Formats: sequence, C-alpha cells, structure tokens
Amino acid sequence: MSMTVILGAWIAVFLTFGIFSYLYKDNPFYKTAEHLFVGISAGYWASIFFWTQIQPNLFGRLWPSSEFSAESLWYKIYNGLSFLSTSVFPPGGIDKGHDMHLSYLIPFALGIMMLLSLIPKLNWFARWGIAYTVGMAAGLRAYGYLNSNVLGQIKGTAASFTDPNMPFFSLTSVSTFNSLVILVGTITGLLYFYFSKEHKGVLGKASKVGIYFLMISFGASFGFAVMGRISLLIGRFVDLIKYSAGDYNNATLWVLVIMLIILGYDAFKSRKTPPVNEEAV
Amino acid sequence: MKALEDLILKIGKVDRRWIFLVLAIAVFIPIIKPIGMPIRATETTKVVFNTIENLPENSKVLVSIEYSPSTKPENHPMTISILRHLFRNNHKVFVTCLWPDGQFMAQDALKQVAEEEFGKVYGEDYVFLGFRPGNEAVIKGIVSNIRKLYTVDVYQTKIDEIPLMDGIKNFKDFAFLFSCSAGYPGTVEWVQYAADPTGVPMSSGVTSIQVNEVMPYVQSGQMKGVLAGMPGAAEYEALMGQKGFATSGMDAQSIAHLVIVLFIILGNAAFFIERKRSRKY
Repeated sequence: MSMTVILGAWIAVFLTFGIFSYLYKDNPFYKTAEHLFVGISAGYWASIFFWTQIQPNLFGRLWPSSEFSAESLWYKIYNGLSFLSTSVFPPGGIDKGHDMHLSYLIPFALGIMMLLSLIPKLNWFARWGIAYTVGMAAGLRAYGYLNSNVLGQIKGTAASFTDPNMPFFSLTSVSTFNSLVILVGTITGLLYFYFSKEHKGVLGKASKVGIYFLMISFGASFGFAVMGRISLLIGRFVDLIKYSAGDYNNATLWVLVIMLIILGYDAFKSRKTPPVNEEAV
Repeated sequence: MKALEDLILKIGKVDRRWIFLVLAIAVFIPIIKPIGMPIRATETTKVVFNTIENLPENSKVLVSIEYSPSTKPENHPMTISILRHLFRNNHKVFVTCLWPDGQFMAQDALKQVAEEEFGKVYGEDYVFLGFRPGNEAVIKGIVSNIRKLYTVDVYQTKIDEIPLMDGIKNFKDFAFLFSCSAGYPGTVEWVQYAADPTGVPMSSGVTSIQVNEVMPYVQSGQMKGVLAGMPGAAEYEALMGQKGFATSGMDAQSIAHLVIVLFIILGNAAFFIERKRSRKY
C-alpha cells in the first residue's frame, strides 16, 4: 500500500477521534479537527466555485476563444490579464464552448461589489449584490413553493373518497381511512396556528387535536434524526475498523492509545491542580 | 419496589458520557459480529425499484448527487445500488451534482459500478456532467437549457463532442430523475423546479433526517417512492439481490435503536419517579 494512502488513513483516524473526543470534553484535539474542517471546507468550496463557474461560465463568456482577436481592445485587456495567470486566462481566449455575452459584465460587476464588503469604506456596494441575490431567490422560491408545496399538497390532501376501488383501511397504501387522517391532521394542524380567535370551545378542541398531530410529527422527526446519526456513527466505525488493520500500520489503535494517554494525563493533572479562585485574584 | 425506583433514579442521573460509551459498544459489537437480521422492503422502496424496473431499455436517466462525505454511509449505498440497477437494465445515465463534494462521491460510485462492475463506455453509456454552483438556479438551468449551463463535462470535454449528449436539450429529454440528497439544494428543489413543472417522474434517496420533509411529496404522488436513509438503502440492496454496506450496517442500527429506546424509557421513568417523590415530600 502506498505511503500517501497510509498517511491519509492516519489523518482520517486522528480527525475522527479528535471530533469524538468532544463527547468527553472540549480539548485541543477537538479544536484542531474543528479548525481544520472549517479552513479546508472554505478553501475547497472557493476553489471549486471558481473553477466550475467563474472561470468557465463567466470569464469564458466574456473572452471566448471563438471570437478572439488580438487587435480588439477587449482582448488586449484580456492579454493584460493573461500576465496575472495563464491558467485562468489562457492565451487565445477561454475555450469552454461559449459565444461572447457582454451582458455577463453585470453579474461580474455585482460579484466585485460583493467582494468590496471587505473594505469598510466601500462595503455599501455589497448591498447591490445582496439585493440582487435576495430578489432573485425570493422570486424563484415563491413560484416553487406555491406550485409544489401549496397547490401540489392541497391536491394530495383532497383525496377522492368516492373511489369504489379504494380500500377503507390499508397500512401501506392509499385508503379512505388514511386520507381521512391526512385531512383531519392538515385542518387541525392549520387551526392550531390560527391566532385571530381565542382557542376555546370547538376551535380549542380542534387545535388540541392539531397539537397531537404535530407532536407525532416531531416524534417521527426525532426518530429519523437518531437513525441518521447512528448511520453516520456506523460509517465512522467501519472506517476505524478498516484502518486498524496491519496494512495501515494499525492507525486506529495507535492514535486511540496516544490520545487516551494524553487526555488521561491532562485529566490527572487538572485534578491535582486546585481550581483558581477568580474573586481572590 | 423502592430499591427498583432507587436504581432507576440512579440510572437517570448517570453521567452522559457513560451513555455515549454504552451506545458506542452497542454499535461496535454488531459490526464485528453481524447477527443477520432480516430486511424486508417497504412500499416506498418497492415503488422506486419498480419505477426503474419499468423504464423502457435505453432510457435516458438523470442522476443527481447532492451529498458529501459526511453522509456517505447513508447516501452512497443508495447511489451504488441505483447505478447498478440502471446499468443492469442498459439505461443511459447522466450524472450531475448540486453539491461540490458530490462530484467526488459520484466519481467514486461511477468508477466502482460503471467502470469496474459493468465495463460501460464513457460518453456512450454514461456522462458525468459534474458540479455547477447556483443551487435551484442550476435546476432551472437544466430544465430550460442544459447545454447553456453545461458546455463542458467534468473532464472539460465539450458537450457537443460527447455522443450521448446528442438530442439532449433540457430536462424533458430525460425519462426519469433520481436525486440522492442530503439537504439543500436537493430533492425538495428538484420537485419544485423540475419534476412538478415538467411532469418528468422522479424518485429520491435521502438521509433519515430528511424523510419527514420529503414524505408528503411521495404521498401526494409528486415523487415515485423514496429510499429512506440507511434502511432504505439496505432494502434496495435486498431487492437488487446484492448485499452491500447498508445491509451490513443494519444490525448495528437495530441494536443501537433498542439501546436508545431503553434509555428513553429509563429517563422518563426516572423523571416520573422523581416528580412523584417531590410531590410526596
């Protein structure tokens, strides 16, 4: 097995135990793993975003190789940028299959405005980019939610009770009883969130039924959340068992023993050291 | 009776770190020594299987990967089983990613299934389009004009030069969509911006924590079944007759659930005993 694979396994084991060690208490192993995760994630995402979108889809549309002309002013600017980096701005234009679209200068400018938030005097520029993003996202989502979550779900709730082929009761498929449960659950759940009238009398009773439906839903969510976390734990354990093999120089065992010794020594030392009385200081 | 109550109270006050340790042992032992608990496919899993089974040969299927290594134990077995099913039935597979990390997950699954198990030819049997940033805007782009969004594939080959991309203009050119999702953007966005507006059937494999969120779409018919977390993946492996990671993890999952249920019962019992005693005195 190659050295890089073994090294990767040791790093994976160290980071896994580093994160798990938080279950005991906050400690430098956990802090190291946490900071590495945050830093590497940010760098990785920035790099991926640049090479999958900004370089091919933005710069590739502003300076496509298909319309390259060394004489034009536009491509003279490009040649100037080539001096900064030939991998981002290769000679002869960017060949990603695009035609020239100068309208992409608008998102380019908005993107630069977002970056200006790093400069305190010019950070107001960022509002333009944020305003565009918020407006676009709000418009896009309004349609999606209205179509799928409101209309689609109303259709799903309004089941046909007169269908002669529908069984009255079924645990696994559509039935009249299940449709009734969904209908009652939807209406009473909505009534629970109706605050324009005091929850007394019929409304009070109906909203109480709604609470029970909500509680069942929260219970199911909790159960699924537990199931998901256990699945992830199984995944880490399987990897730890794999890396405990001789092929990986028993990475799991060594890292575990070393970490336990250090944390145990730290616990022993902190027990011997009397706590500092801050008020007296 | 009092001794039993005292014991339950003692367990109720136990340091949470002992609970973590018991749970770790409960997960660890079944991984080392599997029990082989039976796995029966639920209706929602069967619907996904049957939908793919009933697709005509050579159907063009879009597989979208929206998860990262953090949920690999839940999502990856689903992706592998679905790819196996699609390639076994000689369908043409197009892979996109809405998450940057999904690109590596997809690469790993395609290498294992398409190259090593089925010996499929890249560009003729499957295409790996890769990741594009933009969340739901990417889905909208695929729905309206996929060629505008993806001018090159993940290997920087021009889309026009890939034979399998002939005749693919937008989302309606696909016969089916499978989204393997761990959150936003993912299954919900595919329903809202692709499947519902176009009527192209879709199924999904989601993490356990998302099941409650996507189940209404399954019940209303907006989605053709769902693979729910690791159990869903294990059920699909059972339907495919090819055991994998999810099946091997189900013993640990079941035992861990029993332990958690036991702790919940004991915790509640301790709470009620304590309340009874505090009222008495």
